[in-house]
Amino acid sequence: MSEHDPSPHDRSHDLSINRRDVMLVGVAMTGVTLVGFGETTAATPSAPVARPEMNLTIHFQVNGRPIEMSVDPRASLLDVLREQLDLTGAKKGCDHGQCGACTVHVDGRRVASCLTLAAKMEGRAALTIEGLTPADGPLHPMQQAFIDHDALQCGYCTPGQIMAAVACVQEGHASSEAEIREYMSGNICRCGAYVGIVAAIRDAAVTMGG
Amino acid sequence: MRPFTYARATSIDGIHAVQSATGARILAGGTTLYDLMKLGIETPGHLVDVTSIAGLDEIRSHQDELIFGALVTMSDAAAHPAVLQRAPVLAESLSKAASPQLRNMATLAGNLLQRTRCAYFRNGPEYPCNKRMPGSGCAALDGLDRGHALFGGSRSCIAVYPGDWAVALAALDATVDVHGSRGMRTLEVANLHRLPGDTPHLETVLEPDEMILNIRVPVGRLGQASTYHKIRDRESYAFALVSAAVALELDDGMVRQARIALGGVATRPWRVPAAEAALAGQRLDRAAALEAGRVAFADARPGQHNGFKVALGTAAVADALMIAAERSPSR
Amino acid sequence: MNQTIYPDRARVDARDKVRGVTRFAADMPMQRVAHAMTVPSRIVRGRLAAVDIDAARAVDGVLAVLTWRDFKGVKSAGYLMGGGFGFQSHQPMLSDRLVHRGEPIALVVAETLEIAIEAAALVEASYEEEQFAALLGDTRAEVLAPQPGHDMGDAQAVLASATFRVDAEYLSPAQFQNPMEMIATVAEWRDGTLTIHEGTQNSGALKFGMAAALGLDPARVRVESAYLGGGFGQKNSLQGQTVLAARAAMLLGRPVKLVMPRAQLFHTASFRPASRHRIRLGADADGRIVAASYDADMQNSRPDTFRASFSEITARLYAIPNYTSTARLVRTDVQSPGYMRAPFEHPAAFAFESAVDELAYAAGRDPLAFRLANDAETDPVTGHPFSSRFLAECLRDGAERFGWSRRDPAPGSMRAADGTLIGWGVAAGAYKAAMAPAIARLRVRADGTTRISLSGHEMGQGIRTAIFAAVTDGLAIDPARVEIVIGDPDAAPQHVTAGSWGTASSVPVVRRAVQAMQARFEEFRDGRPIRGTIHEMLARWRRPYIEVESRLQAPGQPDTVFDRLQRGLPAAAGPEYEPFVSFSYIAHFVEVRVEPTTRHVRVPRIVSVVDCGRIVSPRTAESQVRGGVVWGIGAALRETAEIDPRFGGVLNNDFAEYVVPVNADIGAIEVGFIDRPDPLLNEAGVKGLGEVAMVGVAAAIGNAIFHATGRRLRELPIRIEHLF
Repeated sequence: MSEHDPSPHDRSHDLSINRRDVMLVGVAMTGVTLVGFGETTAATPSAPVARPEMNLTIHFQVNGRPIEMSVDPRASLLDVLREQLDLTGAKKGCDHGQCGACTVHVDGRRVASCLTLAAKMEGRAALTIEGLTPADGPLHPMQQAFIDHDALQCGYCTPGQIMAAVACVQEGHASSEAEIREYMSGNICRCGAYVGIVAAIRDAAVTMGG
Repeated sequence: MRPFTYARATSIDGIHAVQSATGARILAGGTTLYDLMKLGIETPGHLVDVTSIAGLDEIRSHQDELIFGALVTMSDAAAHPAVLQRAPVLAESLSKAASPQLRNMATLAGNLLQRTRCAYFRNGPEYPCNKRMPGSGCAALDGLDRGHALFGGSRSCIAVYPGDWAVALAALDATVDVHGSRGMRTLEVANLHRLPGDTPHLETVLEPDEMILNIRVPVGRLGQASTYHKIRDRESYAFALVSAAVALELDDGMVRQARIALGGVATRPWRVPAAEAALAGQRLDRAAALEAGRVAFADARPGQHNGFKVALGTAAVADALMIAAERSPSR
Repeated sequence: MNQTIYPDRARVDARDKVRGVTRFAADMPMQRVAHAMTVPSRIVRGRLAAVDIDAARAVDGVLAVLTWRDFKGVKSAGYLMGGGFGFQSHQPMLSDRLVHRGEPIALVVAETLEIAIEAAALVEASYEEEQFAALLGDTRAEVLAPQPGHDMGDAQAVLASATFRVDAEYLSPAQFQNPMEMIATVAEWRDGTLTIHEGTQNSGALKFGMAAALGLDPARVRVESAYLGGGFGQKNSLQGQTVLAARAAMLLGRPVKLVMPRAQLFHTASFRPASRHRIRLGADADGRIVAASYDADMQNSRPDTFRASFSEITARLYAIPNYTSTARLVRTDVQSPGYMRAPFEHPAAFAFESAVDELAYAAGRDPLAFRLANDAETDPVTGHPFSSRFLAECLRDGAERFGWSRRDPAPGSMRAADGTLIGWGVAAGAYKAAMAPAIARLRVRADGTTRISLSGHEMGQGIRTAIFAAVTDGLAIDPARVEIVIGDPDAAPQHVTAGSWGTASSVPVVRRAVQAMQARFEEFRDGRPIRGTIHEMLARWRRPYIEVESRLQAPGQPDTVFDRLQRGLPAAAGPEYEPFVSFSYIAHFVEVRVEPTTRHVRVPRIVSVVDCGRIVSPRTAESQVRGGVVWGIGAALRETAEIDPRFGGVLNNDFAEYVVPVNADIGAIEVGFIDRPDPLLNEAGVKGLGEVAMVGVAAAIGNAIFHATGRRLRELPIRIEHLF
């Protein structure tokens, strides 16, 4: 049970275990609450489901905004972003961590959000393509470089490519074309925009000071 | 996916508390377990998330030993200066695995317990698989076995252990500290995985309530002259067709000791002592390296579609030895 | 002829795409949406004896579990190539009859995706299984009588007496399009109107196909497909899943979202069928190709007939006077195969251009010079002229850029300092220049906006950018406020966007609309002076807008093709027009490097030069060629379906095991364009590009591997084991 949510449905009494060592998370059907800011994105409450163990409350940040919400323990971060928070920039291309279309940053690192249990986001911070730059602000240098080098076609893998590319530069893995190719190989582009992607990252790495 | 309860442990005692109460499976990076849960192959009723436990995410570099906490991510270990310098075979086995995203998620201990990519295992119940459904048979035996084992298979299973890190660890005689309800014990990585025998669903010698806490790698004279050579169907982001982890101690071009382990071709990380022995005392040149490769694959038992891996693996071992030798401080 | 030289400009939808705000079908915000998941059949062929849905239905949050009994009154929308709308005629879940592995036997609809997935796994079924044929070579497969193809001269007799001969068989495996966007359907049923959000290349077929399947008035079926996350032929028709999702939405009265898992898509959508190609070629002592025969076998499904047309390009690549071809269809128990980028042309060019390379070596000729010496000036099949043909220019320009003159022709003769084997290979490709009928509606408003609605689907090829280039060329409008409406059959009739006819159909019709707009504007102006944009003039004249409609069909097509267009039926024409023949052409030059020890093959650089008529959108055109080349690399070295004949179905049904190229697989790809407008095909001078880009890449790679190693490999994909 999370400290933030002393829920009446706490089932940790079922297990005679030391609460200092384990947090049995779960319970409490509160839908989604976006805490700490007035305007919310159109968050869809998770469905009213009777089984209490199927709802667990988590607190995390998305694009700098604190969020408290109820999730199905089985839900991936990707599905929570897309289906409950209407952050549809991250895409589902395989749902098994094999394509990179779902790439977001968690605590500053790129991950496959489809293989990240949402439950594991407690206390963590996610950054998605929507949060890379302010909605009305200028583009991130990586976004601009993707346009300049036409590093995209259908655009479906593009948010994942860009989130991976930004991480690639931040990690210091953009020092040569060969290194970029290797460190961008977790993001499949079926349209085959790889040449443009590599050129864009080389370009943006300079702007980003990478 | 079958419903499960999710608990988050903040200490090792907490894990055992949850496990003893529920039989929960340990969840770390989740890149294997959650993937297999999505496929309906793993169906745990309870999960205990161990990633909030402090102190298990450190790498310590001692004079004769590198110690990796269980929860160190693959990417952190691959980029660690001491690992890169003292045992490149370890760093390469990690950086040539999976993708940057998955390496940021997957932990070193979890990676050891990665499960096979055998397509008959990963696909649905229409395919017999003793590993997925004990007693159902093995479709791979007379099937598409291009990706299956040349070493360590049985009439029940020829599924390949798919990992890279464990292969590199096996080459360096690494051990794991394992903690369970009955206390702590230490195992050799080379003995961590079982041969399939008649019970391919039992993959390691770990008890259900045991968890790997540390991975210890002796690095003394062996380590620096090492490499992980991985041949894949694409340049990156693919499992090994064949891989060779080698480490050498050379003295003026002569091999004092050699370690060779194979990946992608065996049911578990596969040391080849005969090939190591064949090199001992030899001058390492291309011919000696190729001979070691041949010895390494002398006992291979290929199936219908994977026979090419004998020649490919021989070449990979030879190439790996030559690459490792280049890194020797005393060639 | 189109004299415009179009400027380099950014992809018009790139800004939205890099910000992640472009909404694909599964991204549409939707109130009260329910989530669906299919339950796949576990057998290949037979009867569904029983389905037990009780456990699934008992799960909290499950709204419905549909089986075939819930589809009474629903019909198959028919097969796209047989007068209907579907990728195959077999619509799953209309009966207990099962005809291919993985077809849905039940549909679970639930409050959340997690619950739908959980419940789908609880559906139990029993089957009455029948024997089946999974592979092209299976003894239970039904081999149909050969379809006659081309027949010029006396190929067999001339072959028998030719000085140099090649007789070889080439194999191409089943392959899967695998666009990044898994096929996703969101169906809404409200006030008697069905709305389908789905990324499709054929929103017209969805509209009319759904109406036919569900017995609805087409006027009550709306389809929205503004963007696809890639199509590559897989999304060129009505999918079985669309009918399932729509039925569920109608029964539940709630929007239903069905995102088909990638593993299931290997069985629920189309694919490139396996094929076998026997090529016989003969050359005379002067190095002229005097005869060719081409006999192909191609995998088919049981119910549908997907015809093979491998020979369409190979009969025209060279001036071969004696030529014959046949194709046999082989019925197996699979979902119906269909179009996948360069569907016939890729395997045909691999076979034929490998054989031509073999013949050049047999005749002791340089493979490039051999091709140039055998170039065709008029169409060998019809005797008619080509509308334009710059294949020789592609070959010469490519050779120059690549440095072909430095090539030592002897196999195994070129090595890097570290012993790596270097191979240089060349191959040519062609693809029919097709056109489809199109209707464009252009409205320029006084408020400063412009709206153009026409047939087209944006799957990444850049059709919006090409349309934008055409609509802003010569029209005094505000380019920042142009709305391009495509993929919407209610805005303009929609034809399937495929076969590389997208730009060649849309750009000319837009140019017509622009001309009509200019003419109409002149009428209104009536000699008054022009000050500012059309918008400003309209505001001054107090006219809210001017609207024009233009239409265009392929040369020689009767006006009745517009009836087909209006009914969502395919109506494209080409490559034979009266009295000319139109193709796009390409030449690929490939360098491979083969590790001498492990035989690992890399492709560090490729030069590709294209004749596709006038280039309307230079930046996106270049990307499209690079993409086609990447597809060629994947097809040559990576992609194949692993099918165990005992079980049928595709074992490597994910992105980990069905290995498409990743970034590290791709080196330098240099693209050149001849960029000369075709004078006959259409007034924009545009021929097609998307498919020809891929044609010949695999052969050039195979030829380069031969040059590097001396090994002639005739089976795709060429994998490491083939080099041992």
